[in-house]
Amino acid sequence: MSNSVFNGGGERVAPRVVVVGLASCFGCQLQVTNAEQYLLDVLGQIDLRYWQLASDDPMPEEFDVAIIEGAVTNEEAERTVRLLRERASKVIVIGACANTAGIPGMAAEGFFQRPSQVYDRVPKACGNMLSPRPVDAVIPVDYRVRACPIDPYDFIDVLQRALYGSNKSYASATMCGECKRNESSCFYASGTLCLGLVTTAGCGAKCVNLGRPCNGCRGLSADANVASARAAAVRFGIDPTRFDDALRLFNQTNPALAEED
Amino acid sequence: MAKTALHVDHVARVEGHGNIHVVIEDGRVKTCEMNVTEPARLFESMVRGRVFDDVPYVASRVCGICSSSHVITSLKAIESIFGVQVSDRTNALRELLAYGSYLQNHATHLFVFAAPDFLGMGSVFPLAEIDRGLYDKALALKALGNELCTEVGGRSVHPITAVVGGFTHEPPRETFLALADKLDEAVAFAVSAVDLFKSFEVPDIRMSGDFLAMQADGRYPVCDSDEALFVRSGKRFDAADVENVIEEYEMSHSGALFARCRDTQDAYMTGALARVNASWSNLCHTAKVAAAKVGLRPPERNPYMNNVAQAVELVDVLEHCARLCRELAAGEGNLSASSAPVPYQVRAGVGVGFTEAPRGALFHRLELDEEGRVVTASILTPTAQNLASMEADMRAVVEKLVDEGCSADAIRLEVEKLVRAYDPCFSCSVH
Repeated sequence: MSNSVFNGGGERVAPRVVVVGLASCFGCQLQVTNAEQYLLDVLGQIDLRYWQLASDDPMPEEFDVAIIEGAVTNEEAERTVRLLRERASKVIVIGACANTAGIPGMAAEGFFQRPSQVYDRVPKACGNMLSPRPVDAVIPVDYRVRACPIDPYDFIDVLQRALYGSNKSYASATMCGECKRNESSCFYASGTLCLGLVTTAGCGAKCVNLGRPCNGCRGLSADANVASARAAAVRFGIDPTRFDDALRLFNQTNPALAEED
Repeated sequence: MAKTALHVDHVARVEGHGNIHVVIEDGRVKTCEMNVTEPARLFESMVRGRVFDDVPYVASRVCGICSSSHVITSLKAIESIFGVQVSDRTNALRELLAYGSYLQNHATHLFVFAAPDFLGMGSVFPLAEIDRGLYDKALALKALGNELCTEVGGRSVHPITAVVGGFTHEPPRETFLALADKLDEAVAFAVSAVDLFKSFEVPDIRMSGDFLAMQADGRYPVCDSDEALFVRSGKRFDAADVENVIEEYEMSHSGALFARCRDTQDAYMTGALARVNASWSNLCHTAKVAAAKVGLRPPERNPYMNNVAQAVELVDVLEHCARLCRELAAGEGNLSASSAPVPYQVRAGVGVGFTEAPRGALFHRLELDEEGRVVTASILTPTAQNLASMEADMRAVVEKLVDEGCSADAIRLEVEKLVRAYDPCFSCSVH
């Protein structure tokens, strides 16, 4: 794969970038704009070809990098991500919805009964709805910015790697290590359920630092030992059903949990 | 005369996905539709069976920009079921959190979404070249809203610290004082934004529907009143009665339900213009003067004036929050009590939470069982309430411009401006 920052003659050219939002709250796209003071520096490195949230310009035929926010919840979105994969040399998924199906993924269980709980008759405008799935259930992805919502500076960091290349691998450790480094006390000491035990680290345990347990928005860590974590939670007086309910908030569609059942 | 069809697929510079579909035949408007093309996101279904304290967390994800409002609205619904009385300090912090999202929302909507239409640009970014001062100040105002949300809620999107009964964390006194100074400093720019948005030319139309806003004596309330007012008909109701007063209905061309007043069958607008019409006399002094100077006084029925009303609210929010921050720093009188969560007992019941989100009236109705698990949930967002009024106004502006012999392109632009003036969030509307 050619490095998109340089053209054939070795001359530096700005990579052409598109930003696409699927089913989501748009909060991660907003977080990108929330890097206000650095926004022009970021935009200065790229050739932003399409960003519906901020600009009228239509989707171009050719581009190098696709940034995708949101979960796939209908056939149009599925076609869109396949098209993006065909055209882009690098695909970055941002936010929990695109990474794990996130909050929209909560609807995956018993999905086809759910629309009738909201509508008497499902409007035509909804298109052909699909059970919510993360982007990587449809296409391979190259880079991830995790969390709900993403951190703007985390986004800038990953974008730099996508633009300029990096062989840095993703940390897959769980959140508990971050609390140890922060020297913060553990929620389990007060018998409070916290998903730091199994959740991919990387936010610095932001919620715990502000007095709330981890809800798992960065997704289940590949290293997580769910059975052992559940057993540990039970030892601290947590009902195992509560533990599993909590885990489904952001990991409903994770195949690792399905295998576990 | 031939048939002219105007389509705008995926309206840009709004949140979410919506298409405009207008057909003009022999000089008459045949079809005028706002197609919300996102499928339902099924929040009302997803929270069923979950424990009450998951609800604010999940509901926050309805909307990235008004996440604070969704959290506070859910908390109010839960607290009304449990009979929780929060401290005045908690209420003040919630107001700051809600207002932080007003600053974010209005600054983003006015400058990033709406202004490019009037400046002949496709996006806000060329503004950085043409008028760097304006670009920097506009984004600084948005950043200040983020900072307010971050200090109070823990981050700019999806607040962390607001829970049933209070807050899990509060910033130190010095932070409130520093914020107050920054808020004061931004007032002059917000006042100039009122003049700027008033200077943009818009079609002279009058909306036919009503306005809905929160109401309280002698205040400009956003999250601590339960009374709602239809401004034109004068009908008042308690938020707990929302289902009896407001009727939601399906339209096959929209993934979002529409809404109208059940009694009058009137469409209505909710948002900054409705609030200014309802509570003009309770705006802070500087905001009132800025509004009066540009002639924004109730009753103002041109929906394009929602942009100016948002700019007026920016002034009001800055002045109001600066005072609130200083009062929180002083921590005297009724604000001396802690904001730490008060104890409560879980019990079954039905409760309605009501707040003024940046884009208008927001209602959450929750039914909980004895264990505090959700039996049913219903969310009524500002954009869903605005859709009927938006379509009626689209028709009015298209008819007017067709009569004036405007080109299809000119009509399309004015319709897009109108849709953006409503500051819709289509992803919210299909919660």
